Amino acid sequence: MSTSRQSEPDDPSASEKWAASLLQDCAKAISEKDSTKIHHLLWMLNELASPYGDCDQKLASYFLQALFCKATESGERCYKTLVSVAEKSHSFESARKVILKFQEVSPWTTFGHVASNGAILEALEGEAKLHIIDISNTYCTQWPTLLEALATRSDETPHLRLTVVATVVSMGGSVMKEIGQRMEKFARLMGVPFEFQVVRVASQLGELKEEDLGLREDEAVAVNCIGALRRVGVEERGDFMRMLCNLRPKVVTVVEEEADFTSTRSEYVKCFEECLRFYGVFFEMLEESFAPTSNERLTLERECSRSILSVLACDGDGGGDCDRREKGSQWCARLMGAFSPMSFNDDAIDDVRALLKRYRSGWSLLPAQGDDLGLYLTWKDEPVVWASAWKP
Amino acid sequence: MMKGDFEVVNGALNLVQPSETWDYTPAGFPVPHHISNLPSTTARPVLDGHCTNTNLSDFMEQVASPFSEASPSTNGFPMDTSLPTDNITTSPDEYRSRKAPRRVHESAACGGESRSSKSLAERDEHGLNMITILLECAVAISTENLPQANRMLLELTQMASPYSPSCAERVVAYFTKAMTSRVMNSWLGFCSPLVPHRSILSAFQAYNNISPFIKFAHFTANQAILEALHQKERVHIIDLDIMQGLQWPALFHILATRADGPPHVRMTGLGTSMAMLEETGRQLSNFARRLGMSFEFHPIAERAGDVDPSMVPSQRGEAVAVHWLQHTLYDATGPDRNTMRLLELLAPRVITLVEQEMAHTGSFLDRFVESLHYYSAIFDSLGMSLPFDNPSRHRVEHGLLSREINNILAIGGPARSGEEKFVSWRMELACRGFVQMPMSGNSMAQAQLILNMFPPSLGYTIFQGDGTLRLGWKDTRLYTASAWTARPTR
Repeated sequence: MSTSRQSEPDDPSASEKWAASLLQDCAKAISEKDSTKIHHLLWMLNELASPYGDCDQKLASYFLQALFCKATESGERCYKTLVSVAEKSHSFESARKVILKFQEVSPWTTFGHVASNGAILEALEGEAKLHIIDISNTYCTQWPTLLEALATRSDETPHLRLTVVATVVSMGGSVMKEIGQRMEKFARLMGVPFEFQVVRVASQLGELKEEDLGLREDEAVAVNCIGALRRVGVEERGDFMRMLCNLRPKVVTVVEEEADFTSTRSEYVKCFEECLRFYGVFFEMLEESFAPTSNERLTLERECSRSILSVLACDGDGGGDCDRREKGSQWCARLMGAFSPMSFNDDAIDDVRALLKRYRSGWSLLPAQGDDLGLYLTWKDEPVVWASAWKP
Repeated sequence: MMKGDFEVVNGALNLVQPSETWDYTPAGFPVPHHISNLPSTTARPVLDGHCTNTNLSDFMEQVASPFSEASPSTNGFPMDTSLPTDNITTSPDEYRSRKAPRRVHESAACGGESRSSKSLAERDEHGLNMITILLECAVAISTENLPQANRMLLELTQMASPYSPSCAERVVAYFTKAMTSRVMNSWLGFCSPLVPHRSILSAFQAYNNISPFIKFAHFTANQAILEALHQKERVHIIDLDIMQGLQWPALFHILATRADGPPHVRMTGLGTSMAMLEETGRQLSNFARRLGMSFEFHPIAERAGDVDPSMVPSQRGEAVAVHWLQHTLYDATGPDRNTMRLLELLAPRVITLVEQEMAHTGSFLDRFVESLHYYSAIFDSLGMSLPFDNPSRHRVEHGLLSREINNILAIGGPARSGEEKFVSWRMELACRGFVQMPMSGNSMAQAQLILNMFPPSLGYTIFQGDGTLRLGWKDTRLYTASAWTARPTR
């Protein structure tokens, strides 16, 4: 390989958004099966990438890893290793620190919480016995505000049962125990009669059954799905929604990130490009929201790297969590088969607006247009999170 | 002579007076640091979370020594088995101190004083765990067992953070990154680098701001050059890797205020890009003009080993000084034999050389062990002066030190080209008939002055021996400055 010095050194990293550009060229070269070009681009990416640098360097690093695993057919193995190590290094304290910090600097998760709580409170108005089935990835950070709202309701405080559905991968036993204890304590403080249970699903979320949840006759059920539906295997999504319907819930709240890794899953390059688009936005948002040397941000980025690996380097559904996101409009089409849409009332919308004011500028809310339903969180005018509510 | 020395020392002292004002242009031409401008003068020493930092280098030594014993010594070079203490010359033939097996320090156990807290023991265990995996990974790479290495690297990427309060963890994070990059290059079959020069320069400036190593190199070398160019009317200074020329304003200032008037100065700067060289040249020319010193600048966008000697002509009556600060950010000199030949042809009055005390050549495992020790000391030193979340510290660790680590661990080492490189420049210069000029008391004074900008309690140490001056952190030698001449007598 030549090492001659050019009169103007080639510095591809000097141009803006160089990572996306190189990665797109690489994806194109893959689809054209241009082996020389692929190697050359991977070499460039390897030289310039860093998981600890700026946005471009991070994107280059994590996507390079996925491409490398894809090319060496080691995606599944690498994914499993990454997941198991991540689990070992996480404790309740560290997970809690990450999510609380994330919620402090960005409305990415709190947007969905506030919207969903608004819909749940409306739908369960007047009920004495509530049962919320929580299938989410936010470690119950959603519920304290809801408990507070229940406690300050003008009529008698209802009894609340909270069932958290945990897959093996997402939340370990010790973590859930801590969470449960804290929730019970908080409910006691608020004076809300409260019960907490954890339901574990053996492998895939799609295997959750009605019997597992222990429903009671006299309760009003709300199902809260935050980042949940995307973890159900693509072919099983219809069945899953029918199962939810059979629970006869008063409301189902659905919050998902606005990306489509599903409809393109048989076309590698298109899927790659969508992945690049979404994570490009996400990493940029993280960079602008956190301090430059934030460990919490690093943890979130590593989580992303596992998702990227799962989507781009694993065939099938990895044997763990599936991670095939769909866009709001796609979820709408599915949900319409089992439910009717419920719009967010004015109080809920006001709450969301008030929430967004607490963060840096750049965030905004956008109601869905036309045939689509729900509410979008936008960052720099790009829709990033979709929230919706459904009734039978 | 005495008077001259005294003058020079005085001049040197003036250099670091806070009352000076120099230009700062948007292009980033350097400003000397007021002592009050040094970062975090109020925030040190930082003893975040109790301990692991202070004894990191010792710890690394202790953990690394079984591995270096197993590895073959490079080129049968004499091992340094003596205790490193100030002012001891181990042997006249020893030009490099090796970092291979040493004795274990009493205090080597991490955080000896405060083992009582459980979380401390946990953190030590976490650190020990990571370092163990890192070492096993290095062995896997050295035996070409790439799949196993890759597996361990995947683990390490999830375990180590470069923003951690623990220096050990930061070091592991960057070594992991370097080895991951190397595995990728192995698989791709390419080993040459892509070098983003602008971002390296900016990280280099940050390094100059937050730690004394670069200043040590510049000021001790300048002192030796001054002494060698004493009373010369025409001087030609050749900087083999000039970058932004941070070193030279200080020297120009002294030359311009010489009792017998400034000399005519011709400067030849070698570098990577003509555009950047011309920028540097403009800055230096402006500066010289304001000092009233006659000055010419010649840029050469070539590596020293690629230069046709006719491009660096000597003029009659000129005293030639050549300077080189060794680093592993990119290959600045190219084929070493050619560079040496150029030096022989130039027959300089003085060659000032600052070398890194670490193997740039040899087997992967040798380079790994030495660089782990070396960079642990540097990371330690940064950890003692700046908090773990300080952005400048991150910029230096990520933009500069990490790059060096990357290159050292890369296939073929920092040259990234398979070109033959000298093991030790000092040894080669001696073999080629250059005569070493011992670093003078004034150079030592310069070094002390630099260190006085960084409180002594922090741990920077100066060793003087073999006619060289070495700056280190605690017991680890990091940079060695030496001076050579082509003529046998002054």
